[in-house]
Amino acid sequence: MENKNVLVIGGGIAGMEAARRLLQLGCEPVIVEQSDHLGGHVAGWHKLFPDMMSAPELVEQMAAGLDGVTVYYRTRVANMNRLGSGYSVMLSNGMSLQCGAVLISTGFRLFDASKKEEYGYGVYDHVVTNSDLEAWFGGAPDDRIPDSPARVAFVHCVGSRDLKAGNPQCSKVCCMTAIKQAIEMKEKFPSAEVWCFYMDLRLFGKKYEDFYIAAQRDHGIHFVRGRVSEVSEDIHGHVVLKAEDTLAGTPVKLNADLLVLMAGMLCNDDTQGLARMVHADVDSDGFMRSRDNIYRINESNRPGIFFAGACTGTKTVPETVAEARAAALDIYNYLNGRD
Amino acid sequence: MRERFATGFDPFVLPFLIGMVFVLGYCFFGIFRILYQLPKDDRRRFLVSLITPRTALKNVWDIFCNCLLHVKLWKRNKLLGFMHSSIAFGWFMIILLGHLEVFIYCPERVHLFYYPIFFNYFVAENESTIGGAVLFFLMDFFLLLILTGIGLAIVKRVRSRFFGMRRTTRPSLLDRVGLYSLWAIFPLRLLAESFTAHISGGSFLTIPANWVFRQFLGNDLNLLPTWWAYSIVLGVFMVVLPFTRYMHIPAEMMLIPMRNAGLRIRHPRKGFAKVQVLSCPGCGVCIDACPMSAQKVNIKDCTVYLNRQIRRGNEKRIEEISDKCLLCGKCEAVCQVGVEGPRMRVAQRSARRYGLTPDFAAIDTAPLSRAASAAFSGAAGATGAAGAAGAAAGAAGVAGAAGAAGASGASGVAGAAGGAGVAAGAAGVAGAAGAAGAAGAAGAAAAGVAGASKVAFFSGCMTRLTPSVGKAVCSLLDKAGADYVWLDREEGLCCGRPLLTAGRIDAAISLIRKNEEVILGSGADTLVLSCPICYKMFSERYALPGVRVVSYADYFDEFVQQGRLRFEKSDICYVYHDPCELGRGCGIYESPRRLLGQAAGIAEAEKNREESVCCGGSLGSLTLDFAHREVITRKSLENLYSSRADAIATACPLCLSTFRRYSDRPVRDLAEILDASCRL
Amino acid sequence: MEGIDFGFGLSKSSSVQLDKVDLTLYRRLEALEPGVRVCMACGSCTSTCTAGPWSGMSVRKVILNLQRGKDVGRMLSCCMLCGKCTMVCPRGINTRHLILSLCRIYEKV
Repeated sequence: MENKNVLVIGGGIAGMEAARRLLQLGCEPVIVEQSDHLGGHVAGWHKLFPDMMSAPELVEQMAAGLDGVTVYYRTRVANMNRLGSGYSVMLSNGMSLQCGAVLISTGFRLFDASKKEEYGYGVYDHVVTNSDLEAWFGGAPDDRIPDSPARVAFVHCVGSRDLKAGNPQCSKVCCMTAIKQAIEMKEKFPSAEVWCFYMDLRLFGKKYEDFYIAAQRDHGIHFVRGRVSEVSEDIHGHVVLKAEDTLAGTPVKLNADLLVLMAGMLCNDDTQGLARMVHADVDSDGFMRSRDNIYRINESNRPGIFFAGACTGTKTVPETVAEARAAALDIYNYLNGRD
Repeated sequence: MRERFATGFDPFVLPFLIGMVFVLGYCFFGIFRILYQLPKDDRRRFLVSLITPRTALKNVWDIFCNCLLHVKLWKRNKLLGFMHSSIAFGWFMIILLGHLEVFIYCPERVHLFYYPIFFNYFVAENESTIGGAVLFFLMDFFLLLILTGIGLAIVKRVRSRFFGMRRTTRPSLLDRVGLYSLWAIFPLRLLAESFTAHISGGSFLTIPANWVFRQFLGNDLNLLPTWWAYSIVLGVFMVVLPFTRYMHIPAEMMLIPMRNAGLRIRHPRKGFAKVQVLSCPGCGVCIDACPMSAQKVNIKDCTVYLNRQIRRGNEKRIEEISDKCLLCGKCEAVCQVGVEGPRMRVAQRSARRYGLTPDFAAIDTAPLSRAASAAFSGAAGATGAAGAAGAAAGAAGVAGAAGAAGASGASGVAGAAGGAGVAAGAAGVAGAAGAAGAAGAAGAAAAGVAGASKVAFFSGCMTRLTPSVGKAVCSLLDKAGADYVWLDREEGLCCGRPLLTAGRIDAAISLIRKNEEVILGSGADTLVLSCPICYKMFSERYALPGVRVVSYADYFDEFVQQGRLRFEKSDICYVYHDPCELGRGCGIYESPRRLLGQAAGIAEAEKNREESVCCGGSLGSLTLDFAHREVITRKSLENLYSSRADAIATACPLCLSTFRRYSDRPVRDLAEILDASCRL
Repeated sequence: MEGIDFGFGLSKSSSVQLDKVDLTLYRRLEALEPGVRVCMACGSCTSTCTAGPWSGMSVRKVILNLQRGKDVGRMLSCCMLCGKCTMVCPRGINTRHLILSLCRIYEKV
């Protein structure tokens, strides 16, 4: 190994796991994180499906393996150039690095639900997003969530599968998240009626279907196949949802005390800029383009630039972790001149 | 003063004469045909306007300003204005002076068409007489003016950018023939007059030219061929004129009086529409103006090409162009002639045949108006009971506000409106109800008094998808202490404008009737609209006697003047986007700016007011798809970004949601901004 | 078997024989507005429809019924072309043009 330095851009779970494995393999990873904490979106989450593992605990556990890894917080990559067989990197804090390889693990951005203005996020009093709800589950106070809601509505696909919201792709995890959160709501408020409005239920992973069955059988959660198109507010401050029950073929209305929007996963705003620095390709969906989507998901079209996690597309937590490990091994092999 | 030929004729005048007779014949025939095509009442109206002194004077003045001086073009671009007015006005003056010469020197030849044109060939005048010197000077002066214009025209063909035009039309083959013959006319006239200047006199241009020619051309043999050439190009120009864009010269003189007579397009191709098509000079100003020209594929879909395709009768392209247009009205705003591009397109759309036509007759509007009338503060605190009481009172035939409003079909329901107020007041449900009830009893008589008016807020379909707008308008109405009801809060009907612009006029009218029932039935005397699409429709097409139709911008502007609303100025600087329907559509430019200026900083985009660029979300277009609209929206946003403002303000729910989709800075509706900075 | 009286009637089956559906109208609509093909039947158009409460208008059902060879005239008769369905369609289908095109080529099935 000529240069053992590996720049890891993004300290979410992908970056953390990859750095940990790289460290084990004898490399010297440096994490650049734009926020003031590690763990990214997962750090702000409460519990993870399907085992209802505590997300902060997971992040803590992963962070424990990072002793000896340099982490720069509140830092971005200012510039990055190919230099010899590696990369010369300028950071926004003025530091300069020479590294043999770069791992892009910048993750995703949560859809800004206020962009779907017909749902009234930021306009009505009782509309929250999936991430707001997780924060509330984790103990953060939220005035928008009533003390004892009689009816809670979940709307799937907010900013996903929606050309008008700028994201025609499925965000993959929201269906399962909605079911998980619906169950958690029901557990918190056993007397509440919980409704899920979905377009298609895409429950593809291990134990996901079990969750669906449990939601129906054990918690009596209602599922309506129809996309909510309008939300209004009545004089009592309830949100009024309008949708079509496409299976029954009738328009339906629901007065709810709380509306939860399942905001989707979008490519990060700085994907383009980062890709341009190293002449990496960006895919039509705005995410980074892997060399292929089957066998070389971790590799970019440029030598020494690798990907891990949701920067190449929407991923679940286990997928991201697995990919991060694979990327670490790929980088190790690359630095040792093995394909 | 002598005539050179006793016959007063030479065969070279024949090409000109043929052209002249042809074009005059064509135009006269055309005028009669168009008059015949006009509907009877329109024809009458038009003919009466011609002999009404006020309109007749206006016609002459407008023709002088637009056809000869090209005042509008001057405003757009000085060079372009000079080019056109030098040719048009110069030519007009040459013809006028030619006639003057004939009239002064050989009045017996006045009946000969060609005499004023070829005066210098037939008549030998001496420039030493005062009359001759002045006339000849003027003739040369105007000829020089025209030649300068022609010179500019040639430059413009090569470099249209000098004239403030990025793109211009590609002339057709016949247009080229017309163009080149027009360019050739005046240099040839100069040549011809120069050759005869030592015989028939001339001035500062022709005499020196004559002297130059005589240095190397000793004889007069070349004299006749130049006059022949002059006559031939004149003849060619006039023969091709009806088939080229130069037809706009005579057509515009017809268009101006027709417009002044207040005619509207009643048939997609005939009558007034025909005159509009022929009046299009094909200058291409509308190409740069059209928001669709942000994309190359749509360039050939602006008004100038619509007119061209209508002249060619290319039905497939006419349909494509008509359906694609956003109807933003910008082409009309910039058009020098005033061709009504959007109306022309709607007329084409309205000629379609459909296998199925919507029918709204079965819709029962009574529940809507009943719910609205019950919600006015006369019924405060007793909504359900007052509704029932109102219905009973209505059934009993109590004539409330409706009598005064003069509603016809809906009067029974409208009676319920007034009735509800009285009933609730008499019951004395709440302390305030007595006073409010009294106001209700006063009905429409109190309509003029601020504070006593019953306001119906109609948000329209689009506002349902931008709930922040509806919420903000209601909040402002609350803060101003208005007695209002949100008419279509739960359910409502469309205003009918989308149907109208799609050319489904009968269906639109039947929908209008239904909405009229609801509004008259609600007992409101003021109708406030947050959507400019609805506002245009309600103010132009609805018959709502006793009901004032007002856009929220104008309404809140009045509140500010009355001191009912006050704002605290924020630090944010907004650029105001004029929605097509509110600005160009209804002429409301200032009240939104006044309001915005009170609540925040305000900046102007490069193109604003009449020249504002459509957001691309317009319902006017029937066929533009989502991807094409995105390009238009981004282009429109670029114009707004040019102001360097922090955020964008608009006053249309459709613009709002269209911009929000792609804007990289905040976009807010005027009502939202006002509500946020309103100080109670 | 014919002529035997079982004492009860067999009502005509309501099932659609998919391979025998008359798709003429749908094919003609497809040619005029190809967007009709990408409908994923989410029902956004129906729930936002201004005419829905008055007529049971549902663009989703219109498309589906056409694909199954059923008549759609009654639903279309109240469409106000207000454009809300076009605005909310997550697949970006120009539903207004779809409806206008359909009204043009409409023949009762």
